[in-house]
Amino acid sequence: MEKALQVIEEMTRLGIIKSYAIGGGIAATYYIEPVLTYDLDIFFIPAQEGLDELTPIYEFARGRGYAEQAEALIIEGFPVQFIPAYNDLVREAVADAATLTYRGSKANVVKAEYLVAIALQTGRAKDRERVIRLLDGGAVDRTVLAGVLEKHALVDKLKKIGGGTDEK
Amino acid sequence: MKSKSAEAVFEKKRERRRRLAQLPFERKIEIVVELQKAAAGIREDARRKVWPI
Repeated sequence: MEKALQVIEEMTRLGIIKSYAIGGGIAATYYIEPVLTYDLDIFFIPAQEGLDELTPIYEFARGRGYAEQAEALIIEGFPVQFIPAYNDLVREAVADAATLTYRGSKANVVKAEYLVAIALQTGRAKDRERVIRLLDGGAVDRTVLAGVLEKHALVDKLKKIGGGTDEK
Repeated sequence: MKSKSAEAVFEKKRERRRRLAQLPFERKIEIVVELQKAAAGIREDARRKVWPI
């Protein structure tokens, strides 16, 4: 996986993407217990806003000989899903990312508070489960979270799932 | 309302998850791969491959 992370960092250096942060199951796994996942989800800010923000990424990948598989690119053997930052919350999550290290390679990762907020906004069953796990895992700064949820009108969504205090 | 014994079980589960959460990220990724292998043993899916870490 470290080679895939290095390629993504390289894409940033080359200006293929402006910035990025790992999201999804791998980001959650960074903060809580490991979860079954198959894709490395990458939220990114495009180098240029436009109609097809994925084109430069796919052109770069083709140039490197990386295959496409459904919605993912296979980078150094890893399915990587590039997801343009699709709203203000996700853009903020990318801009305010943390740094993780995997086998000596550094990468940006969405902070736990933003993972909670994005999961609340997305709202699928597995996202609600993730919110509960993140809150119970102790990785979330409740003050920071409260600010993010307030800003993005997500406070009620957290209340609806019980705030993560009554789970099994 | 939960019973005391049920609450004790849930608390142990929470403790276990907290312990797993404290593992080094590299070890967590190894566990993700172990989960992928276990899932592949139950149901093969060409799109869901075990990671080559």
